[in-house]
Amino acid sequence: MEVQLELALSSGSGKGSDPNQDCDQRKKRSFEEAFMGVKKKDVDDLHETLPLLIWDGNEEKKQQFDGELLEQKHIPKLAISNNREDNFVVVGWPPVKSWRRQFCHQISHRECTTNYVNVENNGGGGGGGRGSNSMYVKVKMEGVGITRKLNLSVHRSYHSLTAKLIAMFGICEENVEKYKLTYQDKEGHWLLARDVPWETFIHSVQRLKLQKMATTFYS
Amino acid sequence: MAYSFPEEVLEHVFSFLSSDKDRNSVSLVCKSWYEIERWCRRRIFVGNCYAVSPGIVIRRFPEVRAVEMKGKPHFADFNLVPEGWGGYVYPWIAAMSAAYPLLEEIKLKRMVVTDECLELISKSFKNFKVLVLSSCEGFTTDGLASIAANCRHLRELDLRESEVEDLSGHWLSHFPDNCTSLVSLNMSCLGSEVSFSALERLVARSPNLRTLRLNRAVPLEKLANLIRRAPQLVELGTGAYSAEIRSDILLNLTEAFSACKQLKGLSGFWDVVPAYLPAMYSVCSGITSLNLSYATIQSFDLVKLVTQCRNLQRLWVLDYIEDSGLEALASSCKDLQELRVFPSDPFGAEPNVSLTEQGLVSVSKGCPKLQSVLYFCRQMSNAALISIAKNRPKMVRFRLCIIEPRAPDYLTLEPLDAGFGAIVENCKELRRLSLSGLLTDRVFKYIGTHAKKLEMLSIAFAGDSDLGLHHVLSGCESLRKLEIRDCPFGDKALLANAAKLETMRSLWMSSCSVSYGACKLLGQKMPRLNVEVIDERGPPDSRPDSCPVERLYVYRTVAGRRIDMPGFVWTMDDEDSGLRFS
Repeated sequence: MEVQLELALSSGSGKGSDPNQDCDQRKKRSFEEAFMGVKKKDVDDLHETLPLLIWDGNEEKKQQFDGELLEQKHIPKLAISNNREDNFVVVGWPPVKSWRRQFCHQISHRECTTNYVNVENNGGGGGGGRGSNSMYVKVKMEGVGITRKLNLSVHRSYHSLTAKLIAMFGICEENVEKYKLTYQDKEGHWLLARDVPWETFIHSVQRLKLQKMATTFYS
Repeated sequence: MAYSFPEEVLEHVFSFLSSDKDRNSVSLVCKSWYEIERWCRRRIFVGNCYAVSPGIVIRRFPEVRAVEMKGKPHFADFNLVPEGWGGYVYPWIAAMSAAYPLLEEIKLKRMVVTDECLELISKSFKNFKVLVLSSCEGFTTDGLASIAANCRHLRELDLRESEVEDLSGHWLSHFPDNCTSLVSLNMSCLGSEVSFSALERLVARSPNLRTLRLNRAVPLEKLANLIRRAPQLVELGTGAYSAEIRSDILLNLTEAFSACKQLKGLSGFWDVVPAYLPAMYSVCSGITSLNLSYATIQSFDLVKLVTQCRNLQRLWVLDYIEDSGLEALASSCKDLQELRVFPSDPFGAEPNVSLTEQGLVSVSKGCPKLQSVLYFCRQMSNAALISIAKNRPKMVRFRLCIIEPRAPDYLTLEPLDAGFGAIVENCKELRRLSLSGLLTDRVFKYIGTHAKKLEMLSIAFAGDSDLGLHHVLSGCESLRKLEIRDCPFGDKALLANAAKLETMRSLWMSSCSVSYGACKLLGQKMPRLNVEVIDERGPPDSRPDSCPVERLYVYRTVAGRRIDMPGFVWTMDDEDSGLRFS
């Protein structure tokens, strides 16, 4: 179906029907007239900017029309960029400025290496991630079959962490001395937790293990 | 009675008119008022640098002291405008250097500024005071050195979000020792470290310094020394807010902050170590503007800080604040007017934080003065939008970005037409709106019917047909800027509403269905519009007329076609139908 293009008067306001208005319009020159040497009649023409296509008021007909047009039309494809290592990304979406984009890349890179997001809890979370305020790591106690999970982000010191572990595994007082807290770092090495400052520990811990003192291990 | 009002009196009366709109009205009264007004207009604002030429401006307004200008279309912020498109300020600077020797202020947004421009500015205007470069590019720190060295009366140097080629931090040392006029310095976008002692000395000899926005490279340990020299600061942007946790640093910082009795705005906060946040607590009660949008700290740390700022009016924050944090904000900050929540992981497939539509609903309920919102989230419902609309009928700016394109109401799986419809119907003062999510032509009908004060509308991945665009163009009486991407809008609505485009500043359409033929027709029939096709696939003539163009930018102008177009921009006008390029 061809698009009919016609020039016609705009369906805008009916001009000059008010005699007073007419009178004033005659007296007062418009800007173009006064200062750009445009004649009055030309000014009127200028202001009667004409639509280049008459919008068909019949909505139903329009939808049909549009349907047919759509078939012939090129359906716009999402502007896709290929310059990302992971899945394709639509250019300029979401609409964040370049500053913020760079900044976000930095954050996500850091999160991957410092375990600030919930690395151990992927997939099983269901609706919504755990959020950036959790840092769950697996904890195994030697001699106990079941591995537990612990949110490290709520702890600020070895003291509170140890207290939590004791409570979690129900270790009685006399047995507390028998266990050492060890942790696996980013490189995969097992280290003694209390050998390093808390800050260092929290930035590199991947999992925890309570080992019986008698056990020897290598770092 | 003879009309014998002396010109000087009229001029004096006009000097009280600051709004351009008022001055434009005054100019239309009669020839003599036009003449008087044009000689005493001191400030001009050019919303689109290609809408008018330097010659025309200078001819009409010979005594201008302050120029503000914008270049690239807004979507350039999101990489939708190719490099080299334009927005060069040089021709303006060159013309003004001859015509306006007394020029004091230049404020530019999204323009290309070269070192040559900066040098010309620094040498041409003896009384130069204010340079604001917002989201500009094309210059290096060498250009900044010229400004620092030569502008003896410099008051403001603000580089907000500009892309500067950072050759070294040495530029700051070019401020002469006798330069004491600085009121505002914003170098937050720069990467390199400046000489700290030069910075310290500059701050110390600037008694009028009110705004200081440092860059990330300024270490926290040294911040206290700087602040101590400027206790009169009203706005402070920190550098990196992290250091080894030491009590002496903390004490120093706490003392320095507590001396700043006038502090109202805080920003910066890269790499925040929460242990240092309490250093600021003493100033929180006076803070009205807080930009934590680079602070990657957890919700409870954010909440601790924000809930102390009882007089907060503006908050920019990352989505780490989560729904719970926003609820706390809503309870504590009853003066809040503007909220912007930015995504920490915009490209991640899964949500990384617990921030949903609920957060925004809480704030809309709890903050009676809320009028400006920019919110990135991953789910939205019509119910939430309706709630927000009913809570805040005085909303002026509402920009919602649901990260997944075409995401429906997550509860009902319906389009979000009803929700956004409620926004435009209830918020009668709405001036700016950005849509997202699954939307049909219906939402545009609501917008066309109700959004009578809407000036700027951003649309992406929405609508079904031309009817959508037609509703907007025919209904939104106050519309000035319309930007559209990836929508099935084509020729019909555009051509039927061609006249509307002359009442607007500009129209941007990319990845839509506007054909080359329609662009040509529009360009030929509308001489007061520049109709520019941006297409990186080569000349549009090499493809059939029915082929859609990649990008279309239409704007009204009295300057005629551009003469500085790059090879991928074609102008459609009645001369040879756009065959010619630049």
